[in-house]
Amino acid sequence: MTDHKSNTTHFGYKTVAAEQKVSMVANVFHSVAAKYDLMNDVMSLGIHRLWKRFTIDCSGVRAGQQVLDLAGGTGDITALFSKRVGPTGKVVLADINASMLSVGRDKLRDLGLVNNIDYVQANAEALPFADNSFDIVSIGFGLRNVTDKAAALRSIFRVLKPGGRLLVLEFSKPEQAWLSKVYDLYSFKLLPVMGQLIANDKESYQYLAESIRMHPDQETLKSMMQQAGFAEVSYHNLTGGIVALHRGYKF
Amino acid sequence: MLPLLPQLICAVAEKLMARLIAMDPQAHARLARLGTKQLSFKLKEWPSTLVLSATAHGILFNNSDQPVDCAISTDLASVRLLRDPSQLTRLIKADALQIDGDIQVAQQYSRFFAELDPDWQQSLSAYVGDAPAHKISRSLQQLQRYLHEKASLLQQHTVQLAQDELALTPTALEMSQFSHAVSQLAAKVEVVQQQLNNLQES
Repeated sequence: MTDHKSNTTHFGYKTVAAEQKVSMVANVFHSVAAKYDLMNDVMSLGIHRLWKRFTIDCSGVRAGQQVLDLAGGTGDITALFSKRVGPTGKVVLADINASMLSVGRDKLRDLGLVNNIDYVQANAEALPFADNSFDIVSIGFGLRNVTDKAAALRSIFRVLKPGGRLLVLEFSKPEQAWLSKVYDLYSFKLLPVMGQLIANDKESYQYLAESIRMHPDQETLKSMMQQAGFAEVSYHNLTGGIVALHRGYKF
Repeated sequence: MLPLLPQLICAVAEKLMARLIAMDPQAHARLARLGTKQLSFKLKEWPSTLVLSATAHGILFNNSDQPVDCAISTDLASVRLLRDPSQLTRLIKADALQIDGDIQVAQQYSRFFAELDPDWQQSLSAYVGDAPAHKISRSLQQLQRYLHEKASLLQQHTVQLAQDELALTPTALEMSQFSHAVSQLAAKVEVVQQQLNNLQES
């Protein structure tokens, strides 16, 4: 979270000037974009695909709806949404990072998904869309990297239609102490080595592990969503709380 | 139940269905008949509801409790009986099967799956060549026929053993003779009953 008094924020475990975080996160994702999907599969043993499917199941998406996939990265969630909204609906894949957006666009085109997807480079804190535009907004593994999360949640609330829902899929806090220990060992010892071997980038994956620890836990994020105006906020822990899916409605 | 198992099943089913549809050249035309209709399927023994959604390119699998065009709810024991249309009314009466919404949607899905005819030979030929693919396919068909014949032969032998050798069950002729005798007895009882009634009245 941003500390407004001193105008600093977290970048993993480091404290940096708030205006620096955007470019530092951008560098991380420029660096990992090409190997992002492969690393996701290796790091999570493919389970990230099921987390994303669970998100779709909780979204209640129907044909003809307007969906915004924020921080959509390489487009996994967009692909699932695109098939479900059909030719009468639309999915907007938005990411702040041009490299990720371009990898995502190439991948979705190769999958033959072209008709109902728009690509927008946008900052989640100030979304360039009209009020009440979307039935569903999802943000998968992205909120962690946003400098001012409260501003992002307010911005999402603004673009959602009344009755629309927000889905936040994000790393969170494991429920069991033993799992937390195993997970720490995995994240800080194994993950940077895997990052070095596969993506030739140890620092980015070190940042990933640190940024997960600095991200608000389940209850904190829930209250942040409530503060932004969301109603009936609930969350599901997935894989023992390593990941949590938060859901809130705009009424 | 294992968490995320429903999602895993849906992911595998969706991939498998896409593959099967791609292997059947006629499938896309039949898929168009389903439109964008959704069918949900709930088993009493399973905690989540499976939703099938038809699109122009395939069938999507999800787990959700959203309203759909047709919702089927049943239990594991009745699933086998669903194939037999004559059993449907009995199952609905016995509360073992609930259908909400447009039953035609369920029939359309059922017809689509029944008519799905993937061209295995064509797909296999890409890996092993045309002639071996044809040979393998022929052998499998022969094997299937052989197994089918053996199964019906086995059933016949079991019936013969039970009826003739071990005399555990009656033969069809004995059964009909017995039924006939029961009917005759019933008619005689009826006559005696009427005679008794007449005697009582007079």
